[in-house]
Amino acid sequence: RPALTQEHLEGVTTASTFVLDQPRCVFKDFGNAVIWLVVALDKDASTFNNSAGPGTPETAFQSFPKSVSAYMTLNATLDSYPCPKPAGDITVLRVGSETSCADDNSRPTCNGPLPGPGPYRVKFLALEGSVPVAETAWSMPITLRTAKSPNSISTAGSGHSGGMIAITAILSILLAILLAALVAMLVFGGSDSCGSSTFSKPESVTVRRYNTHHVYDQPAAR
Amino acid sequence: MAKSDDCVHILQGLLVFGNVVIGMCGIALTAECIYVVSNPHGAYPVLKATENSDIHAAAWIGIFVGLALFALSILGIIGVIKASRTLLLVYIILMIITFAFEMASSITAATHQDALTPNVLLKQMLERYQKSEPNNNSDNEVTKTWDELMHQNHCCGVKGPSDWQEYTSAFRSTHSDADYPWPRACCVLDAKGLPVNLDGCKLGVSGYYNSNGCYDAISGPVNAHAWGVAWFGFAILCWTFCVLLGTMFYWSGIEY
Repeated sequence: RPALTQEHLEGVTTASTFVLDQPRCVFKDFGNAVIWLVVALDKDASTFNNSAGPGTPETAFQSFPKSVSAYMTLNATLDSYPCPKPAGDITVLRVGSETSCADDNSRPTCNGPLPGPGPYRVKFLALEGSVPVAETAWSMPITLRTAKSPNSISTAGSGHSGGMIAITAILSILLAILLAALVAMLVFGGSDSCGSSTFSKPESVTVRRYNTHHVYDQPAAR
Repeated sequence: MAKSDDCVHILQGLLVFGNVVIGMCGIALTAECIYVVSNPHGAYPVLKATENSDIHAAAWIGIFVGLALFALSILGIIGVIKASRTLLLVYIILMIITFAFEMASSITAATHQDALTPNVLLKQMLERYQKSEPNNNSDNEVTKTWDELMHQNHCCGVKGPSDWQEYTSAFRSTHSDADYPWPRACCVLDAKGLPVNLDGCKLGVSGYYNSNGCYDAISGPVNAHAWGVAWFGFAILCWTFCVLLGTMFYWSGIEY
């Protein structure tokens, strides 16, 4: 049965496209057949009639899903899906990649972007002429991504880190101490510091007179 | 008297040394903040748009504080050697004012680091990148900056290309999801600026698109800058605190 690709692709499902594995080695004996992809809403899958022809208004992409319950697209011959698949190749089908024909009613088999998130079911149908000769089972339901509004992103702060709190607290304390010391310094003025007495400015010079005892002791030594 | 003279000389020596260190740190702070402001990593318009340019305000204050510290340290040295009460009083008061400014700068830089969360950038990117009717020049700047960021750092979106899928955006309103699951700037581009493999990029084949988010590329350098401004400022202030206390002690011992 068809399935979303197992490859590691970022865009396996987007809001309007999804990626399937190609049906390699599935339709082995139908060299003349054209293989179509049938896309239907999950609820309408069981009501699809295999004899509905591709390219008709009943299976036109442009009317999906309003008036048409399933559309057919991505037609290819078996040559496009050689078996076995070469190792290392990425063999996928991107459903919804053709935007140019999405509104073009003259292209009912357009592989246009899907109109909603689904869920959708797909299957491959092999037609010879207009006669269905083989088909796969319906896939599991495929749901596409829905985008939220950016207003739902919460930009509330994550709180303050320890470093910021430490800086704020310590610096506030230091500033408070400085201001207190400044006030104390101005109020209490020139108190003694650095030893037992205040020190003088280096330019002021004091001259002292001093007596030596020897001069007075020997007055009569002439 | 001799003992007190020695004590005075030691204190003078210490204060002169302290002021020399403050002067040099002031120059270093100015140099660091000029580096931060001159924005070598190109994320500034994005930050400005998030109203989160605190780091630049902090850095600008840091430039002027650094120069003030240098000038005041010279004043301090002269004041200590001449033991002039007036000079030293002016020095102390101006230094306390500078201390307060540097404190503001340091705290702002530290707070900024906490505020730059991925969600803030994500919301801004979704709302303004490739906005079709740009309100003002800053929307164009935001788009140009994001394009350059994604191109140079080989990244996409804030957390990854899935940002463009998980949320609607201004970009999404003008570019269909099938043609542009994520912007072209997220594709690996060749020398001419065109995607190497457009289908591969749209599918999300690794090697043809950038799968990392840009948050690390933005926040890494910005946080390093913020850390530098905040903690270097803090270190200078601790040292200045000690020198100022010593100066006040010295001042109170000078004769009138």
